[in-house]
Amino acid sequence: MATTTATITLSSADIQSDVLALTKQATLNKAGTTTGLDQTTGLNKIIFTSVSAITLIPETAAGLNKAAKVYIANKSTDASEFVTITIHAQKIGKLYAGDWMFIPWSQIDGNDLKLTPSVATALPVEYMMIHEGITTA
Amino acid sequence: MATTTATINIASADLTDNALNITNTATLNKKGNLEGLDTIISATKTFTSNSVVDLLPIAGFQGDASVKVYIANTGTSESDYFTIGIDDEEIGRLYGGDWMFMPWNANDDGTDANDDDITIKPSVSTAMTAEYIVFS
Repeated sequence: MATTTATITLSSADIQSDVLALTKQATLNKAGTTTGLDQTTGLNKIIFTSVSAITLIPETAAGLNKAAKVYIANKSTDASEFVTITIHAQKIGKLYAGDWMFIPWSQIDGNDLKLTPSVATALPVEYMMIHEGITTA
Repeated sequence: MATTTATINIASADLTDNALNITNTATLNKKGNLEGLDTIISATKTFTSNSVVDLLPIAGFQGDASVKVYIANTGTSESDYFTIGIDDEEIGRLYGGDWMFMPWNANDDGTDANDDDITIKPSVSTAMTAEYIVFS
């Protein structure tokens, strides 16, 4: 059994009158258990040269309602460049340069995780999924 | 202009043969520029029904702007979870101790009454607590 943790730290000295300093660590376990997730896509890096939508991670029946955690980061340094993240037809949001996201993903039938770059001029993105269930043949 | 950062660290000594240790820090800026997000909303809510409800309605948020959302299940149960969605689309489940951080397209596209509201559905009706922070 693997032990994987994901820790977020949110910090700001001036977004409110009190200092914001939140840290939360999650241990990434299989759905409904205390057994650690044991599979990963590994960290991937893709440089996009098209503005076409692509399926970043396809859903699989074996992953349906299992625990899957997805990390995506826009590694561009141009503040105007973004990638739009969607699940099925639902737009989740835009990751601008330097932004990252970390979400659980239920892999509902047909609901692939997709990405659309805003520019076709070499936009780098990193992503990784840590999961259970078999997601590749 | 405020300066707010969000840092993630994903670490494991045994998930793969080589140790995993990914760290990334984002500075939370407004759409398409280097000006920091300047509004924060935070709350803790305890749910005692397993009905789906709007955790964050789009009302009050600018459509297609830079909005970041943090949501955590503050419970400790490995079996109880929140199902998080946007409009009618399920994103995923937060079990006890889990958290998520994502951009949010809080946009009214006119397709239905719920549009891009963030929804939450507890798996049980026995007092589950979520906390959330919205940066916009």
